Amino acid sequence: MKRILQHPPEVVTGRKYWRNVGELADTPEFRGWLEREFPQGAAEMEIDGLSRRSFMQIMGASLALAGFGFSGCRRPEIQFAALSKSVEWSVPGKALFYASAMPRRGGAMPLMVTTHDGRPTKIEGNPLHPASSGATDLQAQATILDLYNPDRSKFFIANGKKSDRASFENYLKDLLPKIAEKKGEGLAFLSDVSHSPTRERLKKEVLAIYPAAKFHVYDPTGSVLDQAVAKSFGEGVALSYDFEKADVVVAVDSDFLGIDAVGTEPTRQFSKRRDPKEKMNRLYAVENRYTITGGMADHRLRLKASQAVAFLVSLAAKLGMNMTLAPEIPGVDPKWIAECAADLLSAQGRSLVIVGPRQPVEVQALGFAINQALGNIGTTLRGVATAASAAGTLTDLTRAIQDKLVSTLFILESDPVYTAPADLKFGELLKSVPDVVHVGLRTDATAQAAKWHVPGTHFLESWDDAFSPDGTYVPVQPMILPLFGGLSVNDVLTLLAGSPVPVGAELVKATFEKQGQGTTWSNFLRTGYAEGKPAAANLAFRRFDAPISLPDPKVIEVVFPPDYKIPDGNSIDNGWLHELPDPVSKLTWDNAALISRKFAKAHGLNDNDLVKLTIGGRALEVPVLVSPGHADDSITLARGYGHATGTAGKVGTGVGFNAFALLTSTDSGFANGAKIVKSQGQHLLAFTQEHHQMEGRALVREGTKAKFEAEPAFAKTMHIDGHIPPNISLYKSPKLGMPEQWGMVIDLNTCTGCSACTIACQAENNIPIVGKEQVHNSREMHWLRIDRYFATSGDEHDETEPEMVMQPVGCQQCENAPCETVCPVNATVHSEDGLNVMAYNRCIGTRYCANNCPFKVRRFNFFNYNERPIEKIKVGPLPEASGLYYGPLAPKGTEELTKMQKNPNVTVRIRGVMEKCTYCLQRIEEHRITSRVKAGGSDKLKIPTDTIKSACQQACPAEAITFGDLNDPDSALAKLQDNPRRYRLLEYLNIRTRTSYLARIRNPNPKMPGADKVADIYPDEYESLHGEGAPGSTGPARDPNAKAKTSEPAGAHH
Amino acid sequence: MLVMGPNPTPEEPLPRIPLVLNNRSMSWVTQRICGIVEGPTPVWWLIALAISGTLALICFACIGYMISTGVGTWGLNHPVGWAWDITNFVFWIGIGHAGTLISAVLFLTRQKWRTSINRAAEAMTLFAVVCAGIFPGIHVGRIWMVWFLAPIPNANAIWPNFRSPLLWDVFAVSTYFTVSVMFWFIGLIPDLATLRDRATSKVARFAYGFLALGWRGGNRQWRHYELAYLILAGISTPLVLSVHSVVSFDFATSVIPGWHTTIFPPYFVAGAIFGGFAMVLTLMLPARAIYGLHDLITPKHVDVMCKIILLTGTIVGYAYCMEFFTAAYSGNPYETWLFLRNRMADPYIFSKLYNVPVAPYWWAYWAMMSLNVISPQIFWFPKLRYNIYVVFAVCMCVNAGMWFERFVIIVTSIHRDFIPSSWGMFHPTWVDIWTFAGTFGLFMTLFLLFIRFLPMIAISEVKGVLPEADPHYHPKHDDHGAHTSTTEEAHA
Repeated sequence: MKRILQHPPEVVTGRKYWRNVGELADTPEFRGWLEREFPQGAAEMEIDGLSRRSFMQIMGASLALAGFGFSGCRRPEIQFAALSKSVEWSVPGKALFYASAMPRRGGAMPLMVTTHDGRPTKIEGNPLHPASSGATDLQAQATILDLYNPDRSKFFIANGKKSDRASFENYLKDLLPKIAEKKGEGLAFLSDVSHSPTRERLKKEVLAIYPAAKFHVYDPTGSVLDQAVAKSFGEGVALSYDFEKADVVVAVDSDFLGIDAVGTEPTRQFSKRRDPKEKMNRLYAVENRYTITGGMADHRLRLKASQAVAFLVSLAAKLGMNMTLAPEIPGVDPKWIAECAADLLSAQGRSLVIVGPRQPVEVQALGFAINQALGNIGTTLRGVATAASAAGTLTDLTRAIQDKLVSTLFILESDPVYTAPADLKFGELLKSVPDVVHVGLRTDATAQAAKWHVPGTHFLESWDDAFSPDGTYVPVQPMILPLFGGLSVNDVLTLLAGSPVPVGAELVKATFEKQGQGTTWSNFLRTGYAEGKPAAANLAFRRFDAPISLPDPKVIEVVFPPDYKIPDGNSIDNGWLHELPDPVSKLTWDNAALISRKFAKAHGLNDNDLVKLTIGGRALEVPVLVSPGHADDSITLARGYGHATGTAGKVGTGVGFNAFALLTSTDSGFANGAKIVKSQGQHLLAFTQEHHQMEGRALVREGTKAKFEAEPAFAKTMHIDGHIPPNISLYKSPKLGMPEQWGMVIDLNTCTGCSACTIACQAENNIPIVGKEQVHNSREMHWLRIDRYFATSGDEHDETEPEMVMQPVGCQQCENAPCETVCPVNATVHSEDGLNVMAYNRCIGTRYCANNCPFKVRRFNFFNYNERPIEKIKVGPLPEASGLYYGPLAPKGTEELTKMQKNPNVTVRIRGVMEKCTYCLQRIEEHRITSRVKAGGSDKLKIPTDTIKSACQQACPAEAITFGDLNDPDSALAKLQDNPRRYRLLEYLNIRTRTSYLARIRNPNPKMPGADKVADIYPDEYESLHGEGAPGSTGPARDPNAKAKTSEPAGAHH
Repeated sequence: MLVMGPNPTPEEPLPRIPLVLNNRSMSWVTQRICGIVEGPTPVWWLIALAISGTLALICFACIGYMISTGVGTWGLNHPVGWAWDITNFVFWIGIGHAGTLISAVLFLTRQKWRTSINRAAEAMTLFAVVCAGIFPGIHVGRIWMVWFLAPIPNANAIWPNFRSPLLWDVFAVSTYFTVSVMFWFIGLIPDLATLRDRATSKVARFAYGFLALGWRGGNRQWRHYELAYLILAGISTPLVLSVHSVVSFDFATSVIPGWHTTIFPPYFVAGAIFGGFAMVLTLMLPARAIYGLHDLITPKHVDVMCKIILLTGTIVGYAYCMEFFTAAYSGNPYETWLFLRNRMADPYIFSKLYNVPVAPYWWAYWAMMSLNVISPQIFWFPKLRYNIYVVFAVCMCVNAGMWFERFVIIVTSIHRDFIPSSWGMFHPTWVDIWTFAGTFGLFMTLFLLFIRFLPMIAISEVKGVLPEADPHYHPKHDDHGAHTSTTEEAHA
């Protein structure tokens, strides 16, 4: 007889403690547990209709199948190490968040770092910081992998042999007194751009001991902006743009939303001005290759980088400035420049002309002069104080070495042997310096050439401080002790200054005391910035008349921009970045010489063909890639690739081609007079997207501002969507039970395609990389991809001057999900809060779901990508199809170091299972638990409005992604549901996607040549056959004039 | 020129074409068929077995490598989640249709000509289903978890997804295989008894005796036997239609253009019969020549099968055209794109006619079209139906064409579907190729073992259609028997 326990009603006396969340919510399940002797189903055979017979059947079947499933054979064994000492605040399994900042060339990026049990696992922007709003870019997202890079420098190296810190300190003890005797004569330093006041302070301390020592700074991205600013505005000033105030922006060879962006601020500000319901800004882009800035432009001019100066001179003349030169730019409609100038004149003081940082100093100065003439200085172009003090250049250092003036050289987090322009022959010169000490995270080419290599520290391992691009003072706070006991640059400078290396934050604290600005130290660390307005610098433009020369427009130029992913090559061993497709070319694991179709035809070249590029006797063999929208007679080759074997770790070895081999110290961003000769053979390039047209399918929907004003909901009826018959269904969809129903809206109007979201997703969701050979076979694993299409009005396949549009595509979380019905084992199912979720341990990998996914967002683990080091995928040469893949005999297991990065809240998938985006389910659940705990005994179980951000949303600097609860009328998402621009992909399939998009709106200047072609990128094939239609209509167009309306030039505007 | 048999257009009055030629007696039939099994092992057989056995081993080696290493050893990728695996599955399962059709449907419709080919055709069915069954099993990512497909009330209380056509597939194919094995084995029993009775070695006597299940040929046994056979024929007949209909649901229930097609079930069934008959002829023609079975498998048999190939081939051709018409008539841009630009646009005519880029898999589509639709049309000419070389060549065309049909349906549909950014191509790896080639080895190995150890023609059934079996038969008055109902039916 079953005993039923009768619990007396609980008398609440004092505080109520609860055993688990179930008790708190007082769910029926919990009561069941409380009142039953045995768990439900364990003791009541008759009640559940389970007879003795069926019990015997089940047991028989279980017994029979016990041997088939091998279910006990494959559970991995994990070794646990218990924390013998408790860590302050640490609750096992709970993440802790710390404010920090990532030192960058344009100023530190304020961050908030997630740590799990003492390991930093994920990086976000610091939402408290006034200029960050919580966004990051892709380098900041990916740098967490640098921390755990198995190939990072782990030992002190002396003359090529493993050494230790004590020996290094002894070496310094011997060396330094000798230098001190000479007052620092022969002592030189070379470092990258720094914005650290602490480093400045230490520098001064070092100079106090060694007054003759020389400091040099080299920026391998080729930016001469600092020099231009110094010459035009004086020392100690950095520029800050205010895009929120700018109505008209002209970007000349400037990728200010992409690789030339300083922080995330420009993108955010620019996006703020793209709302078509408000006064939209207008962007003119003049560039030689498509950049993501060019993709955002309302008007884009395809122009060689060397002709930018001619453009600026013509523009200045049209603006009424007194110009002595009057250049003719072949192939450019003078009306383009005239109308651009007219538009600028109509927005004086509310416009911006940005010249790319790799244009020569005098050209940039011309840009400042134009802004001065337009009255922009002080309004849209402002100055902020910077920490950097005067330092020599790499050329100065080279000269000093040649003149035998340098006997001891400290190279601090810089790799000049690789990044120095070829003509300096720095690697050879370095051999003549007797004492070279290199500090760095990687055993790069310079580390190997140096006498001493000191393993550097990642910024998440060491104390520092910095100015962020807006001039705010921020701490660089470590989350973890140096993993391999390295020394930071500050540590080394401290040693040189004769002090012991501090263990904690003493160095920064000492600086903070001076910089403090009324914040307490603990507040400074907690919020991640010092309160108080950043010091604004006075921008007084002094025109300097450097001679401007106009290059011959006919010669072939080579442009060397920093790479989108590994800007100068310092991230060469970061697999996430290599596997991330370039935002524009969608190329992975390589760089290539980008050329236009016309240029390719003229030279008989195709994609993957190897060519020999020669400039002034320096030659390089590279593969070419035809790039739509590229200027003719112009070649673009990104920096940062092609490191020598043995200097780039396992991941970076053999990746790409070294653009620095073609550069000279006099070129900043481009070199003229190149020769291109086709050579033998090909180099296979791996892309994640091989088809670049939308083929008339209205996937990215786009219109002009005029069109939007005339018909705000134009996007809803585009293409086949205007012909969807009324939905008459016999099937009643089951109602989903949760109070929250998740959804997402992606604003294509502000998405630049920067790809920070893709890396954020990768870091958050433990997404593996697969390597070039696998990418080439279309097996990349990104859950969130960014589709990039080129389209032209009229002939869609015309690659001369197409428009470029971006579309992030992750799982669309269809309510009628095609993947769910076809899975034979119920491994992908719908959750009660409207998500299409994956049960990885249920998945057997039939791949049917992926086949039936109309968006092709499901990703299959063809191999044990998480278990195999990237170079251990295949035996034999890559990427030959004949090679054997490593089977079960291969070394297995993830590197311990890589494991540390994994998000413990997300399953690491094994081979043979399907995976995909679930709107960061782990974040949802975490908040759900928190809100239930907070709710206590009450029934307020709902997660508060807009508290959850998906990883992609959090990273997005354009704030283009909105995730939230569709059922909550206060949520940002619910408000976007009524946006007239909102549409869903493949609506006609009646799959009812939860992710929707906001159509893109361009704001062309109606007077510009080609303005009628802007945003007119769909061939009207479908409409001409079937009429325009409207939602719910079954027949052809109701309005016979509808056709005429769309073909009208997208003209008249505000 | 090897033109077989009598003049196909004989003079008036039309005599019945006998089912067994040259007035062969019952004992000749027994001797002839049992002789194949009882005689010494031919050298060609050993060579053929060595080759096919090696191929079969390669198949298993490839499967072992694939399972131990990962599905990535095949050329599959992200748009193309299924390629040769499911192509081969559908190809083999299609071949497995002719046997049951011949043995069950023709049995129920009293088509007596089936008797001399049904046994081999059924065996072929089983071996084809064995080959087919390999692929859905091994193509999954985690084969050690495939038991999730079984509806076991386990502790997690998770059932398979009964909405998924893949699950229906599992049930349909396993049912089909089980029933086919039973049907085949029941039919074998009297012949196994014959072999048992004739066996000279102890081993053979035991083995055949064990398998003959105590058959003595008694009246009651025959009555039970024929009832059982009839019932199994009745069960098998709907399976012929259901299996390939269910296989077609794998595609028809999806949303992908090119898969999402309501014409698929009848089209797949017709295609399966078409391909199956071609494979029956591919196997029977050489066997007939090697073992001198011309009197049992007569030109008339070949002729009838050619006619079925012609009929089903034309149905398949109609389905191809109807699919195309539906796509064009629907006005659905994704459908029209698929047919014109993924499949049809060849570099010579259609791409120029419609001014579109060349379809990446145009060659597969046109291989399918010409091999499946055009090549069987020559069977309109009786002379060509009686020329075994022509017949064999067309059957080989159809075999290849039917593989291409599945490849076209599967790969050309998913390699470019809705979102152009994720379009891709499929390139088979050597593992794909050798696994597929290996299944032919497995198939041939099983078939060679079958013809060596089991009677490849149903002895008892053939005897039943001999004139001798007629109670009114008088060997000296040949014309007498021609008026009996037996031969009339036989001619139908």
